[in-house]
Amino acid sequence: MEPATENEWDRLSSSSSDGEEQAASDGSSSQFNRQQHVAFLMMMYESLPHHYQYQEINRITLAHFAISGLCLLGALDRVDKDAVSDWVLSLKAHPSNKADLTNGEFYGFHGSPSSQLHPDDNGVLMHNGSNLASTYCALAILKAVGYNFANIDSKSILTSMRNLQQHDGSFMPIHFGAEKDLRFVYCAAAICFLLEDWSGMDRERAKAYILNCQSYDGGFGLTPGSESHGGGTYCAVASLRLMGFIEDNVLSKNMSSSIIDLPLLLSWCLQRQAADGGFQGRANKPSDTCYAFWIGSVLRMLGGYNLIDKEALRGFLLTCQSQYGGFGKCPGDLPDLYHSFYGYTAFSLLEEPGLNPLCAELGMTEFSALGI
Amino acid sequence: MESDEGDEQQQEAERLPLSQRPEWSDVTPIPQDDGPNPVVPIAYKPEFSETMSYFRAVYYSDERSSRSFQLTKEAICLNPGNYTVWHFRRQIIETLHTDLQDELAFVGRIAKSNSKNYQHHRRWVAEKLGTGAVNKELQFTKKMLSLDAKNYHAWSYRQWVLQALGGWEDELDYCQILLGEDIFNNSAWNQRYFVVTRSPLLGGLIAMRDSEVNFTIEAILGNPENESPWRYLRGLYKDDTESWINDPRISSVCLKVLSTKSNYVFALSTLLDLICHGFRPSEEFREAINALNTPDSGPLDSDLGRAICRVLECVDPLRCNYWLWRKSKLPLTVSSQ
Repeated sequence: MEPATENEWDRLSSSSSDGEEQAASDGSSSQFNRQQHVAFLMMMYESLPHHYQYQEINRITLAHFAISGLCLLGALDRVDKDAVSDWVLSLKAHPSNKADLTNGEFYGFHGSPSSQLHPDDNGVLMHNGSNLASTYCALAILKAVGYNFANIDSKSILTSMRNLQQHDGSFMPIHFGAEKDLRFVYCAAAICFLLEDWSGMDRERAKAYILNCQSYDGGFGLTPGSESHGGGTYCAVASLRLMGFIEDNVLSKNMSSSIIDLPLLLSWCLQRQAADGGFQGRANKPSDTCYAFWIGSVLRMLGGYNLIDKEALRGFLLTCQSQYGGFGKCPGDLPDLYHSFYGYTAFSLLEEPGLNPLCAELGMTEFSALGI
Repeated sequence: MESDEGDEQQQEAERLPLSQRPEWSDVTPIPQDDGPNPVVPIAYKPEFSETMSYFRAVYYSDERSSRSFQLTKEAICLNPGNYTVWHFRRQIIETLHTDLQDELAFVGRIAKSNSKNYQHHRRWVAEKLGTGAVNKELQFTKKMLSLDAKNYHAWSYRQWVLQALGGWEDELDYCQILLGEDIFNNSAWNQRYFVVTRSPLLGGLIAMRDSEVNFTIEAILGNPENESPWRYLRGLYKDDTESWINDPRISSVCLKVLSTKSNYVFALSTLLDLICHGFRPSEEFREAINALNTPDSGPLDSDLGRAICRVLECVDPLRCNYWLWRKSKLPLTVSSQ
């Protein structure tokens, strides 16, 4: 599908996920425009405009947003599932032999072909750019298209994943070092959960790290000591849920036995709903579409989603809805793939008709998670 | 070898394609192998594709030369999110022993236009320079925070610098300054907590608690609608609820705010929490709540906790469901005094 002109792409599409504010016509309406959203996702699926080249290394994340987004909207019949799984599998890093699995490198999935160079003449993969975040996205996509997980080389992923866990329980995303924070603890937990095998990580140590990230105000920062943040809080709670350290619907049970300060967490989460109905990621910051998922999911996982003001949230989200399909970060913003995906997950939590139910812990549809 | 300020912008304007540069004539670029059915293909701009193709070539052959070093700079400017480029640049730095101070300057320029992806690289350089780098790194984060006082990455980097390299001396003052500029800056409140609890130069939370409570109460009285100091106040008594409910200043500030009859939502919720943890309010509290005269209050509930919940349902309607739930969870006690 070719755009008529370069200008048309610029007009129709967004910039990076940082969501530049531009003078956009007000896309708000009183309805969730499912048709427009499907069209938007298909457009992204077929070709991403050049603005996205900055996220090139994480292309598989963009693919996850598009494909899992279509899955949420019940429109996955429009993609060639075999082509998708072939592409995802082509991004797998392969060890040349068993000994490689303990050489310190991780043998998961790359984020894009650009960081994936072929093995040398001896079959050795000299440049292994595979990482945890891409691996989570890869598995999420494969679940969405119904790929048979028995065919995945889980052992190489799980054995080598242990190389990435740090002494304090946190995870590096990649073997040659990068930030270590809750995002990668979450990816690791989700990967183990999806592969149904916890040998990939030390759960107790991971739990200890997570608990150290709970801030004095009840939310979780991305690292111990850092400011409580919607994304960090999601990663913390979802990881604890997946690892089995927080029971189902814990708010209706004995809260005082919880390993985290639950009443304070609940109060913090609910206070994130701002006067405009949207959710903010941190205290005294503006509302942003994506936190309707990050914070909304935490509340769903704890059994407290019904405590929010759903109508007010819905109203806010609709002001972030673009008339071209997709969602932007703030009211009136042009849409981008990241905020669009999280907009769809948010509407799924709101039980919008026409959307598939969401598995909050995994960030994918219930059907995908269950392998239906 | 490294260039000066503004060099990156100049390069953008005057860029000669790599295929036309004589010093690159011996290199065969490696195009991206997208495979037969690429998913979410990106419509790369030509200069982006070309730069990355040449990068792949030198990365694959592991050529750690000065031209590779220059190329990583171009690739980073085009795509600062690409961690493999940063990684290769570090490998070149190790091999060629390029100037680390220049490197900090380079990362600083990248950070200004792209506030997200520089951290690990900067940390690596700073670690190599050791404690000598502490002032520069604190200066750097200060500069980043002057552009955006809530930049999450800058704050987390600053916390790393303090813990790894030191420099705690002026940190509490720095928080004070930022809070003076914007008392609503939750990141600055968080940093204050970080300093008070972790600085090796201060006495620790319990030693600092008294003065911190006083500071926080002033902030609350100035802007009772500000969530940050209320959370901070509670945080000062983390893991010590007994001291929290027994500190008369806590309940007192709630009462003061209630008496103003404006911006009292946090005062009410704090009072509710105090009561739930065993605080026994005197008659003045009941009177203050009566005086709020909220619509639909009807005869005030004999149980003060329930009364507070009912007021909150009214004045904090966004969280009405939550206050109803809190009310349902209150122990069924005889009415408080």
